[in-house]
Amino acid sequence: MRRFLLSLCCTVLPLCCTASAQDSSPALARGKAIYEQQCQSCHGVNGTGSKEVPSPLFGDRAVAELADLIDRTMPEGAPQECVGEDARAVAEWMQQAFYSPEAQARLNPPRVELARLTVSQYRNAVADLSTSFRWQQTPGAERGLNASYFAGRSHRRDRQVLQRLDSQIHFQFGSSSPDGEKLSEDAFAVTWDGSLIPRETGWYDFTLRTENGARLYVNDRNTPLIDAWVRSGNDTEFHGRRYLLSGRLYPIKLDWFKFGEKTAAVQLCWKVPGGVLETIPRRHLCPRPSPDVLVVETPFPPDDRSAGYERGTSVSREWDEAATAAAVEAADKIVASINDLARLRDGGDRAQKIREFAVNFVERAFRRPLDDTLRQKYVDTQFAAAKSDDEGLRRIVILALKSPRFLYRETTGADDDYDRAARLSFALLNSLPDPQLLEAAKSGKLNNPDELRKHARRLAADPRSRARLVEFLRAWLNLDRLQELDKSDHAHPDFTPEIAADLRTSLELSLEHAANSAGGDFRALLNSDSIFMNDRLAKFYNAALPVPAASATDTPGSPAAEFQLVQFEPEHRAGIVSHPFLLSGLAYLETSSPIHRGVFVSRGLLGRGVKPPPIAVAPTAPELSPDLNTRERVTLQTSPDMCVNCHNLINSLGFALENFDAVGRYRNEEKGRPVDASGQYLQRSGRLVRFTGARELAEFLAESEETQRSFVRQLFHHMVQQPVLAWGPNAVDELNETFTSSRLQMQELQAEIAVRAALRGWSPAPPATAARTFNSTPASRLPFSSETQLQQPAKLR
Amino acid sequence: MQTRRHFLRRLGLSAAATPFISGLSAFASPKALGTRRQRLVVMFSPNGTVPWDFWPDEEGDQFTLKRILQPLSDFQNRMLVLKGVCDKVRGDGDNHMRGMGCLLTGTELFPGNIQGGSDTPAGWASGISIDQEIAGFLQSKEETRTRFGSLEFGVMVPDRADTWTRMSYAGANKPIAPVDDPYQMFKKLYGQVRDREVLTSILDSVQDDLQAIGKVISSEDRRLLDEHTTFVRSMEQQLQSAQSLDSGHAVPALEPGIREENDNIPQITRMQIELLVNSFQNDFTRVATLQITNSVGQPKMRWLGIEEGHHELSHEPDENKDAHEKLTKINTWYCEQLALLVRRLAETPEPGGEGSLLDNTTILWGNELGQGNSHTLDNIPFVMIGNGLNFRMGRSLRFPKVPHNRLLLALAHGFGHHIETFGNPNFCKDGVLTGLT
Repeated sequence: MRRFLLSLCCTVLPLCCTASAQDSSPALARGKAIYEQQCQSCHGVNGTGSKEVPSPLFGDRAVAELADLIDRTMPEGAPQECVGEDARAVAEWMQQAFYSPEAQARLNPPRVELARLTVSQYRNAVADLSTSFRWQQTPGAERGLNASYFAGRSHRRDRQVLQRLDSQIHFQFGSSSPDGEKLSEDAFAVTWDGSLIPRETGWYDFTLRTENGARLYVNDRNTPLIDAWVRSGNDTEFHGRRYLLSGRLYPIKLDWFKFGEKTAAVQLCWKVPGGVLETIPRRHLCPRPSPDVLVVETPFPPDDRSAGYERGTSVSREWDEAATAAAVEAADKIVASINDLARLRDGGDRAQKIREFAVNFVERAFRRPLDDTLRQKYVDTQFAAAKSDDEGLRRIVILALKSPRFLYRETTGADDDYDRAARLSFALLNSLPDPQLLEAAKSGKLNNPDELRKHARRLAADPRSRARLVEFLRAWLNLDRLQELDKSDHAHPDFTPEIAADLRTSLELSLEHAANSAGGDFRALLNSDSIFMNDRLAKFYNAALPVPAASATDTPGSPAAEFQLVQFEPEHRAGIVSHPFLLSGLAYLETSSPIHRGVFVSRGLLGRGVKPPPIAVAPTAPELSPDLNTRERVTLQTSPDMCVNCHNLINSLGFALENFDAVGRYRNEEKGRPVDASGQYLQRSGRLVRFTGARELAEFLAESEETQRSFVRQLFHHMVQQPVLAWGPNAVDELNETFTSSRLQMQELQAEIAVRAALRGWSPAPPATAARTFNSTPASRLPFSSETQLQQPAKLR
Repeated sequence: MQTRRHFLRRLGLSAAATPFISGLSAFASPKALGTRRQRLVVMFSPNGTVPWDFWPDEEGDQFTLKRILQPLSDFQNRMLVLKGVCDKVRGDGDNHMRGMGCLLTGTELFPGNIQGGSDTPAGWASGISIDQEIAGFLQSKEETRTRFGSLEFGVMVPDRADTWTRMSYAGANKPIAPVDDPYQMFKKLYGQVRDREVLTSILDSVQDDLQAIGKVISSEDRRLLDEHTTFVRSMEQQLQSAQSLDSGHAVPALEPGIREENDNIPQITRMQIELLVNSFQNDFTRVATLQITNSVGQPKMRWLGIEEGHHELSHEPDENKDAHEKLTKINTWYCEQLALLVRRLAETPEPGGEGSLLDNTTILWGNELGQGNSHTLDNIPFVMIGNGLNFRMGRSLRFPKVPHNRLLLALAHGFGHHIETFGNPNFCKDGVLTGLT
């Protein structure tokens, strides 16, 4: 077995006492005086640190907690010199002077930095640029694909004898035909068509299995992704891949026929990013047609995520080269489909139409009308330099997509309605404004927050925005880090890769369900008593499916074969904290990990700044302390002073989930003794909450202002890619207020964040602030960012 | 000698930029110019020939060219006419299918779902074709490696992948689609050169705009923009130096706007031949195929005054003199295309070497059938021309119905690729075809 070091998480809080600056009340004045006298020599003015204690002093502990720490440990070597009321006074003063995030934002206001499009924005923007010249489709409620059955081997309309909706493409026709009366078993043909609804952005690997002839088209109506028309020898499996962006529909068509072969079968599978090979499930298929989407496949280097969210505030040579290659790729694809995009077949002057297209293209790419100079530079000059219209168009597309006016979020500092339209749209859709929004900008309406809000609500309901929320929820739960769930064959032999994949799907479905339910109730994520299960999961976790699966095996794609919402141990579980995917992911090969679970709750959900542990520690192997249960073992190991400050917080949250073992099954005893699932949490307000078990923990989290504020802050960062404190020290509070007053509707929060982001953006001039008196760590890099990544437990037992 | 990788490293380029920088013709073949560049072309035309207007009456080095082969008269001393070479592969598929699928593979078709006019249905060929075998051999060695390894040209090949439209195979069940759009082929060959030109001028404009925007930006943000400008400038410089390396290499000028349709077959063929010769001249490849239409091809050669489709005519019995007059004209026209290719190779000097491209190139002209109305696979009208493989040229040869696998073997051996068998080994028992050298 591979052994990894476990990152035990401890907050190292460099502490001491002394003071400076603005304060009114006598208590604060006293705290300030003590700080100056006892702490400042080591911790520096405003906690900026000194040679001896270089790390700056800030964090998110409650005053009470801070006071307690000072009381017990500070000044170093002589903790008795600052205790009781003194420690409390220092803590209070520090809190408002420089320690808290809000104080830091006051002292060192973060600014909106110049930013380029992130890779995801780039791909979405190019896709929407092309789509804006086509048409758009929404998935609707119906699922599955249109199936047209033809008598004979050809797909001629006049031979069509049967039309129906098929849930999936997975058929073993054997030696008979699907309709004995209308179709001869010797030769018949089927066309399945409609659209694909991908789950997330990335490479999709398609596998077509058939012993007959077939052609598969995915997001390209003219060129098959898989051409298996000629059946030859024993080849029955064919492959192809496409890069797809989430939140969109892609046309899919499978032409299939049987001719002469003894038997017939066809199955269309895919492997989604991070998934396993499966028949494309019904929920990802829709019978409505949709147009091709221009998806740039050129690989880009990943964006900076050091602040906990992807952002475009740096450039690299690799990025610039990728942007060039991507521009060429997009230009070639646009020129190849120009008949369609510029509607050249409708007649009219070809050259004229291409020119009009080019101007529109550049304007949409730049998110604003072109003035004469820019039009000259980006359009006229390029046509003049080219030998043909197509060549001119190609030059224009490359130039536009390489231009800083496309590649950067904002470049002019105009701060006009066009800028507001773009900010609103990038926040909600991660992409360019749509024609309606540009129209609103043109008529000068977007200075009005209500008008912005109207568009924000419209866009928040767009499937791209819904997909973006799901994408955020994945980031919020740090699902990227929970790949390859693996359990010990010895302890959990029945935990197969299929179970792991099903669990992930189940969680994904919960997130989609929450994001797409009316308004998107945030609390439902945390306290829902149901989860999605298929037959396999229901068997593994001994749950009962509402629609029994017995009938499912012979009708593939029927609802029962798919995932169903199941009330699952509601007396023990609630919401995502007790979802078996997270419980299994935040566990070792054989045992649970209260520390990982505790870090997930404290850092991920409550937004507490938990620093990495000061030393790397390997967890005590269970066999070294065979008499101890997990709780006892973890308590013992984290009992040293250097650990306990943080582990008090972490462990007492993680212990509340001790009723669940390494695969997320409920247990009420371990090592023959009852499980102790009691836990507690000292809120930043100073109030202590106690809870026992997942249900009580979840109920606390769902109502906790800390959870909500953390959610608001992280969602803001995900949507806007700039530090929220650049919108003022109270930005999170204000947003949280609207969030609460909208009864925690995530969709409303998205809209509100977008409106805020739209109203204030990047400015080309330096901010007129004189407050930069000491080291200016950008707020986004402050360690209290709860968005820093949580590692998956190493594969230990 | 510099390899291309060294060159790229010197420029400091990473993978993303290589599409624009790679394929520099000067670096396409970083090998000593002293060694001889042997080349192979396989040209295909369909539906069999007209035997009495094709096969010379004589055997040996004194022979008279019949009507169909007349266009090659200037090169008679550089050609071999090979009578008695037969496609003996049997199994699934009708003769048109096997004639095509086994012509260069020498092995059976897999059973499948493609039904011909007779026999059992079939799928793809069950093995690699000789052009790909030789290309693979050449690509395996540094000194014979080229940018593409092989190029597959087509003329009016129907837009459907089936056993009648594919003769090159990368392996069993791996047919290779010929590129029958000269503009697409041009893009494949020279797209990067064109991209470099376009990009250089575009990046120049981008820099201007970056500077214009940078003027109004605070110093903190300008750093990002400056950095970006540096990358753009360095790429522009790299592209410029790449471009200067391109200069001196012939980029053919294609007549614009030739649509892919029946009546343009003559122009398309000429364009493809021009690109083929050019790709040899620039050493983009040493192996090429030129597939004019397809097995069962139905071009209507109206430019010869023939309104009927070729395949339809080829079914007419020998007694139909009118039809056979037309078939002779059609086959003569194909031979004229071969003659054009030969002439272009003969008049193009071998770059950096002695003589002409034809001195180092052997062309094999083949067909899926011996004759159209009988659908025979015997006496496939094989002609070889050019001096790429050191065969003793200028002869009319007769063989006692030998399997064509032995001819395919001879091609491989001509390149120094001494394989024992090719395709179905049962047809290789007598070894490489003798009498060629």
